[in-house]
Amino acid sequence: MKQTDKLILRTENKEGKCTVYVGGELDLESAAQMRAAMSPLVELSDRELTINLRDLRYVDSTGIGIIVSVLKARHANNAPFAVEAIPPNIRKLFDMTGITPFLLKQQA
Amino acid sequence: MKANEEVVLLQVPASAEYIDLVRLTLYGLAVKIGFSYEEIEDMKVAVSEACNNAVLYAYGDLPHGSTASAPDVAPRIEIRFIKQADALSIVVKDDGRSFDAAAAARKAQPATGKSVEELQAGGLGLYLMQALMDQVEVNSEAGTEVVLTKRLVRSGELA
Repeated sequence: MKQTDKLILRTENKEGKCTVYVGGELDLESAAQMRAAMSPLVELSDRELTINLRDLRYVDSTGIGIIVSVLKARHANNAPFAVEAIPPNIRKLFDMTGITPFLLKQQA
Repeated sequence: MKANEEVVLLQVPASAEYIDLVRLTLYGLAVKIGFSYEEIEDMKVAVSEACNNAVLYAYGDLPHGSTASAPDVAPRIEIRFIKQADALSIVVKDDGRSFDAAAAARKAQPATGKSVEELQAGGLGLYLMQALMDQVEVNSEAGTEVVLTKRLVRSGELA
């Protein structure tokens, strides 16, 4: 899979917290790039993992599937995970597929 | 084709890297017709899902560079945008292996109320198409043809 600039990924690690900023378009074409970026981070159970979608313009069922996979893997390892800054058009798709309640950070 | 219909035809290789081109074409046409930003976003996702299915399932396990009906032709997807007086229909057609639309429709459902363990990472495509469009029709005779329709509600008109 060739590297595209349609999906922009930036990972920030600090103080036991890892945040992945996802921008651009997350679709069938860019899915492999996203999976490759996420797979080592999913294993880091000792720190909080957050996906920030502020600059994500487009997501399809492939992208939603990746987020669900990450959610399931983190849940299975009992590791903290949340999705933040979800743009309205993407929030609508998350709501439709019924995954929103599982993605939002649990209020302490 | 009816006299009051206008058709825009697009054919792309059945490959993931061309699906954004389909979205761009849809965007341009839908703006011209007068759909709202939200309606266009809905249609972009639905059309992309239909194209995803063509790329993933219709040609997925056939030898490279062949189709079920014509083994020497490179896999491709044909997208027909049909502008009617009060709606836009988008026909996404491939020549690949037909998929069991009835079985897929039965499986197409949201994840509401389930636990994390029960969430499915796949199979959301058809569900999203149904949720985002006014009408979804799947014909699988030679290849698969998905017909997605969005009605045009003119501004100022009560929905």
